[in-house]
Amino acid sequence: MSAQAAPTGVFPTFEQVFQGLAGQIGMLREMAPRPTLSDETRLARAVDTLIEETNADEAVWLESCIHCGQCTTACHYFQATGDAKYAPMRKMNLYRRVYQREISPMRWWFRLVTRPVKLKDFEEAQELVYDSCSECGRCTMVCPMGIDTASLVHHMRSAMVAAELVPPELAALREEQKRQGTVFGSSPEALRKMVDTIRDQYGIDIPLDKDKAEVMVLSSAVDLVANGNGLLATARVMNHVGVDWTICSDGFESANFGLLSGDMSLWKQQVDPIIAAAQRIGAKTLVIAECGHAYPALRWNPMVRSGSLPFEMMYMSEFLGRQAKAGRLRLRPLEGKVTYHDPCKTGRRGGAFDEPRSVLKAMNADFVELPANREYNWCCGGGAGIFLLERATRLRDESFKIKIREVNETGADSVVVSCASCRLNFEAGRQKNHWDKRVDSLVELVADHLIEGPETGAAKAGGAAA
Amino acid sequence: MSLLEFARGPAIHASLILLVGGILLRLLGVLLLTRGADLSRPRDAFGNFKGYRTVFSRAWPSDEFTTATRYQTAVAYAFHLATLAVVIGIVPHIEFITSLTGLSWPGLPNWIGVALGTIALASLIALILRRLGKPAVYNSTVEDFITWVIVALPLITGLMAFAHVGPRYETMLALHILSAALLFAYFPFSKLMHAFWFIFSRAQSGLAYAHKGVRI
Repeated sequence: MSAQAAPTGVFPTFEQVFQGLAGQIGMLREMAPRPTLSDETRLARAVDTLIEETNADEAVWLESCIHCGQCTTACHYFQATGDAKYAPMRKMNLYRRVYQREISPMRWWFRLVTRPVKLKDFEEAQELVYDSCSECGRCTMVCPMGIDTASLVHHMRSAMVAAELVPPELAALREEQKRQGTVFGSSPEALRKMVDTIRDQYGIDIPLDKDKAEVMVLSSAVDLVANGNGLLATARVMNHVGVDWTICSDGFESANFGLLSGDMSLWKQQVDPIIAAAQRIGAKTLVIAECGHAYPALRWNPMVRSGSLPFEMMYMSEFLGRQAKAGRLRLRPLEGKVTYHDPCKTGRRGGAFDEPRSVLKAMNADFVELPANREYNWCCGGGAGIFLLERATRLRDESFKIKIREVNETGADSVVVSCASCRLNFEAGRQKNHWDKRVDSLVELVADHLIEGPETGAAKAGGAAA
Repeated sequence: MSLLEFARGPAIHASLILLVGGILLRLLGVLLLTRGADLSRPRDAFGNFKGYRTVFSRAWPSDEFTTATRYQTAVAYAFHLATLAVVIGIVPHIEFITSLTGLSWPGLPNWIGVALGTIALASLIALILRRLGKPAVYNSTVEDFITWVIVALPLITGLMAFAHVGPRYETMLALHILSAALLFAYFPFSKLMHAFWFIFSRAQSGLAYAHKGVRI
């Protein structure tokens, strides 16, 4: 089970993973479903969705904007392009008009002074709520009113689902997940094959479908169909700390295209089997794979009463951080200067700031913070499904230059991320710009620096849970 | 009935009724909507209350954004504070409030009132020049400009009346009161309602993020 004995090159490098996925994403556009309903129905459904999802919180935020323009300083898409239409405040204009005409206590007045909403308005808003908003929440940090634009954009995405206006790539993946529960052709069968490959090639056991386990670990389609190193690293870490763990073939997928597209029912449909599996096996801890949006999809799912669940949900970086703090990870020192990129979904909109830093500390890393870090971190530009949208390539490429500037300013040799989506976007940016930085996943970095030996938890049977 | 009598009588009284009634309608109509429940387990069982501090902390931009927002913040503060001081601080305004409520307090010396009114008007002009100069940043709507005019009018007419500039004093005073009446009547329909919303908006976001253990 030692790293030295492991063969190399069984799984593709992340550079190859990225190139392979980029090819697959191109095909998604052709698989996208076409609208089936009449324009009137689509408009009515979109408006009804917004009416249904608007509570006092949303109403207050929609009421509060004074067009002071400060949000533009925080938005990477605006800063990268300077284009007026990408100003965060504009992303809620259509929602506000629907609100003013349908819900506001002044609707009798607003119906006199605003134009009726048309399907064309939703078509035009598509680019604003998908391509140019990663729901990163940075604009909330500067808004003098504290408006949570990201939440409003999420409701707009729900309306877009109702109006059959989801961008083709996300629409195709949403369809696939709705029908099969997985994406990119991943499946329980693919999981079994990957588990077998890892056992045969590396001699590393992945306990699949145990009846009972303390820790239930999730994987993701990207790991199963492309980046085998991700699951391999996860297994090596889990075995190293010696927890009683398993992966359930009836609830292993972290990715949630319900959340990304705005489809609330698919969001729930994806989460239910995971929670059922965790309860069935008596898990105390559910570890969410390094898949940024999977964290809010599960941990911060407003529809799941997680306080009364018998297990705790945590992100991979949180699990690693806690293990590191408890001294259960024996790690070789990390060479070179590193910086850490907080994924929006686990950082600013997730709160998992300290744990990944504890891991880097446990590796005695020469760690340096990005100029804007933690709550103020700049989004990489690829979050909330935007990495998948071909149409958003220019926005991603331009906004990634902010990230390049930030990382270069630290003088670090490598940047550590803990989110597959960020990592793919960093990889795209790295290749396109011939950037001389290394981009590492936190869990793979940890796995590569484990000191295996008889005195580690790996030798003990069972062992302490997280 | 002269123009001044009309302004001082039915015009200002009707506008005040619209102001109070409109504000109540809009505030209650929104705040009494249901609240969406977030059933997820908070990061820290008692941490959500920390979110309320955003109501106060957001009164000044964080260091991260100081450079980008310095002008806007400074000028906006100058405008709001100077305007508030003029509205409740100069003798004629206090006399008007006393006639309505019976309450009274000592007024500011005239020269301070004029200075504050000038600061308020100058900062309002500084804000609109910036809005006009950076169209991409401000994404201005017709309402933004209408609101600016309606806010600027009482300041301009008030300063003119005080300085005895323009038409004869009684006419100028009537115009000043009418412009204030227009502002009062317009207030509940417009973005001026942010005078109330900011408290709720900041608190909501502060709570939502505190739920996840994030301080905004």
